[in-house]
Amino acid sequence: MAKATPIGGLSASDSFAAAAHKILAVRSGELLQQRDRVLDTGDIEGVHDMRVASRRLRAVLEIFEPCFDKKAHRAALRDVKRLADDLGRRRDPDVQIALLESFASEASIADREGIESLIESLRAEQAEANDLLREALNRVDDHGLQSTLAELTQDSRP
Amino acid sequence: MKPRKVKKLDPQAPLAENAVRILKTRSAEFVELAATATESGSSDDLHDARIAAKRLRYVLEVTGFCFGKEANAARKQARDVQDLLGEIHDCDVLLPRVLEHIEQLREGDARSVSQSLAPDGAPAIDDVHWKDLNKAPARRAYAGLEKLALLLAARRRLLLERFVDSWGAPQRQAFVERLDGFLGSPR
Repeated sequence: MAKATPIGGLSASDSFAAAAHKILAVRSGELLQQRDRVLDTGDIEGVHDMRVASRRLRAVLEIFEPCFDKKAHRAALRDVKRLADDLGRRRDPDVQIALLESFASEASIADREGIESLIESLRAEQAEANDLLREALNRVDDHGLQSTLAELTQDSRP
Repeated sequence: MKPRKVKKLDPQAPLAENAVRILKTRSAEFVELAATATESGSSDDLHDARIAAKRLRYVLEVTGFCFGKEANAARKQARDVQDLLGEIHDCDVLLPRVLEHIEQLREGDARSVSQSLAPDGAPAIDDVHWKDLNKAPARRAYAGLEKLALLLAARRRLLLERFVDSWGAPQRQAFVERLDGFLGSPR
């Protein structure tokens, strides 16, 4: 799992609003920098890292809510949640396939057939979820989650 | 599960002061949900406890530096319990998926076997016999899938025992005391 990026220049005596600005900028960057890796089903860590980044960002949006414009905050939280759901839909078969492959490697050849038939079925779900995720990432560009988050970061300045 | 609202946050007050309020709310939420989950062992309660651990961990990641080493230790505890509950969640999600797959294969095989015995226009046969099952396309898949379901059920039991042992009442109390200790004296 990707480690959280340390927040540079943060101080315990910063105002809550100033801290919100610094933290949101870093957590937003963490999310958006992962987007190029996630559609490769051969590297399931990309989706995992972006999903964790979305969770971290969501947790930050939740706690710093009083520091933001309500409307912009609601829109950002909604878009991050949607993206997290789409990432989760891809992540579920990723995890299950990895787990099943490890079990299959321990099973007898006779027992593997059933496990492999389930893996095959999950691969179809994974491909379908990947198509949906591609659309979700395009929406991030079209609807500008990046710019929404940038605006929110500016807005939270003390 | 929606996070509990943190009351009296003040954008102009220092981060550390607000962090105390947030961490008190998030830790109380986690401890209560962990207590419920250790008692019931239900997948829904375990899931809620996992989400609460995650929220607590992510808040500690950004505010823990205000409180020193003990906050870092609490963050690691939250991460570890989140990982453990995640493994239980994987079993809870995969086991029904395995059983559903067995059901789908059985439906497909039953259709194949019955159609092979009574193709359109052929005279009706009296019954299905054991030897006819050799016509089932997925007949070799069942044993492995049944064992897989058993493995997942046994693994879940083991992981749940580990969770109950590591987050029983004494451990939860120690965790609360650890948080009370550092939340009372922010840097």
